[in-house]
Amino acid sequence: MQDLHIASAFDRDLEDITALIMKMGGLVESAILNSANSLVDRDVELAAKVRAGDKAIDALEIQINEEAARLIALRAPVGGDLRTVLSVMKISHNLERCGDYCKNLAKRTTVLAEMPPIGGSSNAIRRMAREVERMLKDVLDAYIQRDTELAADVRARDTEIDQMYNALFREFLTHMMEDPRNITACMHLHFIAKNIERMGDHVTSIAEQVIYVVSGEIPDEDRRKLDRTSFVGKVGG
Amino acid sequence: MDEIKISAQDVNVFYGETHALQDVNVKIRDNTVTAFIGPSGCGKSTFLRCINRMNDTIEICRVKGDILIDAEDIYDRQVDPVQLRAKVGMVFQKPNPFPKSIYDNVAYGPRIHGLARNKPELDEIVEKSLRRAALWDEAKDRLGQPGTGLSGGQQQRLCIARAVATAPEVLLMDEPCSALDPIATAQIEELIDELRQNYCVVIVTHSMQQAARVSQHTAFFHLGHLVEYGETGQIFTNPQDKRTESYITGRIG
Repeated sequence: MQDLHIASAFDRDLEDITALIMKMGGLVESAILNSANSLVDRDVELAAKVRAGDKAIDALEIQINEEAARLIALRAPVGGDLRTVLSVMKISHNLERCGDYCKNLAKRTTVLAEMPPIGGSSNAIRRMAREVERMLKDVLDAYIQRDTELAADVRARDTEIDQMYNALFREFLTHMMEDPRNITACMHLHFIAKNIERMGDHVTSIAEQVIYVVSGEIPDEDRRKLDRTSFVGKVGG
Repeated sequence: MDEIKISAQDVNVFYGETHALQDVNVKIRDNTVTAFIGPSGCGKSTFLRCINRMNDTIEICRVKGDILIDAEDIYDRQVDPVQLRAKVGMVFQKPNPFPKSIYDNVAYGPRIHGLARNKPELDEIVEKSLRRAALWDEAKDRLGQPGTGLSGGQQQRLCIARAVATAPEVLLMDEPCSALDPIATAQIEELIDELRQNYCVVIVTHSMQQAARVSQHTAFFHLGHLVEYGETGQIFTNPQDKRTESYITGRIG
């Protein structure tokens, strides 16, 4: 734990803004799990709840940005304090995007609930979502604890999400080739899988912010990229 | 919402021919730190000095309009300026302890105002005041030593202890940290934040960062006018007047 400021109000401001991030993170974690469950269980009510809940996440992002602007204007933070405020703004943006993806997932769930299921893909998507949710939980813990090892671990785990997405991508291609009547559902499911994969990237970005807050440096882009779907269909690829 | 402690209505101040303050209207809240900012000569110190009638000591100075503390006009003929200044304490730019012991510095006000009936009561006031000023732990073993022997930051806290010893309701501070190093400044600022629980604090400062850090409300003065008065966060993130924006962003002097 860092030493306290002589100005105790400064510590309170920093604690308050961190608490808002945690609150926002908690809402996004629930949104991920609820939206994935609504897909598997074909629960349109739960999906509607996720869609409505995104407003609260958006409002928190606005509140966090306002608090951060205020903190910069009033306290002129430097060093680790400055990095904390900058990271808070970035993380709130990452979380807000994740919230939007959950909302989108919930929208597609309402459409998919009317269609026949595509193999076991819903369950595979839920496994992927659960893993992203665990990563988010861990990265928020890492943020609070200033634990760069845990953050690096979360960052590394994103490759598993990429692999899960690759597998789903190929599965959807197969289903679409087998029967064109599967195309609509598969397109929706593919967007869902892609959006969850994007959430993994946002969680990874939060992990990088943890490392930045502690060390002052953003880690190099040396992670192995296992999302190869951009090259699918390339001749000789 | 905190109650209004000081209310100024159409205050105008003249130094001879110079019209130093023009039509100032402001309501200052109790249990709040209110900062006055603005370039030199803008009238912020003049206005501060109106609040405890320090301007009475300047012969060519005339004050028009009303200043009410708790709805009582402090410029009323029946108000004794000496009593008023016990109620409205002041801390100055440079720490100015009396050339007396630490104890006597703090005990001076209570003695002349007859606030203590006996030595134990006076001891109690001195200890309480030094505690309020966050100086007790550093000073308790050297109360008999001269106040001028303390460090600059300690001297300023001694002056704050001296000001609170007369049980004031309002504390005026005229650039209380400008002669102090950053650590002593931070300590005084933290103290100001604590003092607001018991007092209405008004601080004049040239440091906009200080105003931002310590105050809940900020008033910006320019050329004798109160240009803008509002919640400190709003003043520093989204000022409504172009002159305020220019000043806080460093565009006019």
